[in-house]
Amino acid sequence: MILTILYGILRLALWLLLAPLLPGIINKVKAWVAGRRGPPVLQLYYDLARLWRKGVVLSTLASPGFIAAPAVGWVAVVGAAALLPLGPAGATLGFRGDVLLLIYLLALARFCTVWAALETGSAFEGMGSVREVSYAVLTEAAILAAVLSLCVHSGGLSLAVILTPSAGAGAALLAAGLFTVLLAENCRVPFDDPNTHLELTMIHEAMILDHSGPPLAAILHGASVKLLLFSVLLVQAVLPLGDFSPLVATGVLAGGVLATVVGVGLVESLLARFAFKQVPFLLTLAFLLCLFALLVAWKGGAA
Amino acid sequence: MIVGSLLSTAALGLLAGLVLGPRHSRLWLGVTLGGTVASLAAALTVLLGFEPTWEWSGAFRIGGELPHLRFDAISALFLALLSVIGGAGAAYSRDYWSDHHYPKSAGRGRFWWSALVLMMGLVLVEANGLHFLIAWELFTVSAYFLITLENRGRKVRAAGWLYLAASHVGTLCLFAFFATMASRTGSWELGPQLRDCAALAPLFWLMLAGFGVKAGIFPLHVWLPSAHANAPSHVSAILSGMALKIGVYGIVRFSGWLPTPAQAGWVVIALGAVGALFGIAFAFAQNDLKRLLAYCSVENVGVILIGLGAALLGAAHGDSPWGRLALVGALLHVWNHGLFKALLFFGAGSVLHATGTRDMSRLGGLWPKMPWTASLFALGAVAVSGLPPLNGFVSEWTIYLGLFDAGIAHSAVAWATMPVAIVLGMAGALALASFAKAGALTFCGAPRTKRTAHAHEGGAWMIGPMIVLGAACLAIGLMPALLWPLIGRVAGAWNPAWAVADAAPASLFTLGYVHVALAVLVVAAVLVLRRRSQTNGLRRGLTWDCAYAAPTARMQYSSGSFAGMASGWFFWLLRPERKVQRPHGPLPEGAYRVERVPETVLEKLIGPVGEGVLRVSTAVRRLQHGRLQSYILYLVAGLAALALLVLLEGTL
Repeated sequence: MILTILYGILRLALWLLLAPLLPGIINKVKAWVAGRRGPPVLQLYYDLARLWRKGVVLSTLASPGFIAAPAVGWVAVVGAAALLPLGPAGATLGFRGDVLLLIYLLALARFCTVWAALETGSAFEGMGSVREVSYAVLTEAAILAAVLSLCVHSGGLSLAVILTPSAGAGAALLAAGLFTVLLAENCRVPFDDPNTHLELTMIHEAMILDHSGPPLAAILHGASVKLLLFSVLLVQAVLPLGDFSPLVATGVLAGGVLATVVGVGLVESLLARFAFKQVPFLLTLAFLLCLFALLVAWKGGAA
Repeated sequence: MIVGSLLSTAALGLLAGLVLGPRHSRLWLGVTLGGTVASLAAALTVLLGFEPTWEWSGAFRIGGELPHLRFDAISALFLALLSVIGGAGAAYSRDYWSDHHYPKSAGRGRFWWSALVLMMGLVLVEANGLHFLIAWELFTVSAYFLITLENRGRKVRAAGWLYLAASHVGTLCLFAFFATMASRTGSWELGPQLRDCAALAPLFWLMLAGFGVKAGIFPLHVWLPSAHANAPSHVSAILSGMALKIGVYGIVRFSGWLPTPAQAGWVVIALGAVGALFGIAFAFAQNDLKRLLAYCSVENVGVILIGLGAALLGAAHGDSPWGRLALVGALLHVWNHGLFKALLFFGAGSVLHATGTRDMSRLGGLWPKMPWTASLFALGAVAVSGLPPLNGFVSEWTIYLGLFDAGIAHSAVAWATMPVAIVLGMAGALALASFAKAGALTFCGAPRTKRTAHAHEGGAWMIGPMIVLGAACLAIGLMPALLWPLIGRVAGAWNPAWAVADAAPASLFTLGYVHVALAVLVVAAVLVLRRRSQTNGLRRGLTWDCAYAAPTARMQYSSGSFAGMASGWFFWLLRPERKVQRPHGPLPEGAYRVERVPETVLEKLIGPVGEGVLRVSTAVRRLQHGRLQSYILYLVAGLAALALLVLLEGTL
């Protein structure tokens, strides 16, 4: 019992410690493509440490919920990450339907971010919230289609079961669909530009303009955990990790996550942010990709 | 035997409420609360399995029929919810609709409240078709008098009329349904024996339409938004939380008792999916807080129908276990929606009470003045969005499991359940958007108008019932597995093949533990973050507005602009009315943009049909003018036509 708890804590620590590495790698890739030196890979760790020690400037309009919401959102994202199996290590707490809990925990985090954004009464933050909740309607459909295709393919309903075999013939479709969802959910180019400083064109950054100090640290860290979560999900959904020996599987998982993150960096270097009117079409495309993956899984199972 | 005496006590309490209501507010509240507690106890006795069913038949005749009451698990499920909302609403109305504020209508309100609760209870236990219809009609009429309690407003009277007209269209279907059933079986008796009479299967559609009007199935929901918006808020709460559920009760009850046609499951699940998505799309586009809540009820009834449709499909496909799972989810959602929707309507009522407006574009910044209402509304918003760790997620999760399992089982039914699961996900995301908007725009940000300046928190009698409902939402979220045997018993009463006493699935237990852990972690994280922020130093400053010097409250996102993007995707459905005056020239004089989402289904679909009927009726009415000579001519002409018919029949 104690060993299980210790093991769980250890895994959680791994998630929390590794996550801030990802944005650093993306920035390094972008700098490398642009021929710059770029910020250090560990930059986010420094930022988080500094923010954690800083004071907080609160909007005069903000209620106690303004500080509570980032905390709830952080717990939700970390909880969702804790549900995810890690290749050969499996899941700490696998149960039927945990994949739906994961989706809805991410929704809870979204609710908190949006609520906190609207607390400030700022037009910019309103803008960001509108985009966030509206695009989520389409991403939710894409994620559910992807999950359904995994469930139908594997015949299971828990993350540990559906992520073990590869996505079969629909793997390429699923990979493309889920990668697009990853970009949208984590507010990366071409949906959002995390580096821009023009509030009118941002989604996630626009929603957190008024956060500062430890709550901002919680938000930034939560966002990095979410990015890691989606990368791990994508890699496990597409690659048949169950077919490899534990050591190889771990290596493949780590390599896959790294490749995904480098991919995000490359996309960001080579592509400009889309006009907001085009975003729904791209998200619909992601949904259709996942839907076709579902059809392939359905056909594959019937044969 | 306990059940019988508890139910009689409850009925006595409510009858005493009828007598005491108009004059004695405190005594009325006492007997009403006593009655609802007794009926809750009766319902729990049956749900917990202490007594299977309770039946009672009288020896005298009412309307030529012997009274026959039957109280089983299905009735008990709905009666439990009725007791909670009936009691909570009665307590809430003590301050909200007091003699002091409404000297003319408060007494009337108490009378009709008792009548409404009593009649809904009677509908739930009736086992005789004729008496069911009588109780149904009395329930409908009591609700009408409650909706029009404040009858000076034109909008209120119009809403009441619409409700009455729509309800009677539904009642007409029910008359046809019960009468045909009685003529085909030879008796008005209702019960599981109807299942064996295969000739009754086509009546399913009549039943679905009749009860569907009351349940607010899209597109039969037309009466619902205006009635919910214009009724006093405690009445909206019981309308949305319970009256719709009586419609759902009818559908659940008779889909269990009647033989069902083969297409029943497909149609019900499709209606559910359409209602869930379109209902919430309409909700998101509303500017009126209570209208938003009303449309959200259309969505939630859709969610319940999705579960019920999957259950019908499951029952038709060899009583598959996934059908049972979906049914349990749907039945649990009946409770959950009742609880959080009543909570939200009470919250909206407190806001209306404090500010005098329901328009979200005129509200904002209420939390410092109404901290309790704001936090409880936020809790309800999380619950209604179906987010963990509250109750809304538990029931939606169970329905999802049923839908997914049907897909995994690779049955033909998957062609319905998989698309519906995706639709349910989209509806969930829109619900989140709607309630982030409803809660945050009402309570957070800067006050948009001066109306909020004199806002004040409701009294203890208004906050108390909300705390009870919020606690119930939290409790169901944290301990879902405890409810499994209760709801499982109801599923068994619906389909005897599913009447197996089993422990809750392990995943439901795990979900409960995860929810508890989540709740604890959330509290801990909030405390840590708050502590850390305070030790580091808190400073207050203006909201950062890109260094703009004079920000005003009008620069905030309003209800309309918040919904702009997503409801733009649904413009083909919502058909918003726009009036735009663009700025012209170098020094433009005036520019405006007015956008309103009408009651599209009512105005664009039902309205024209009604007008057509009215035009035909007016034309036909010219025949009836009161001149005896012409009437005699009609008679002669009619006789001649009949004679001609007989003659012709002879020759042909």
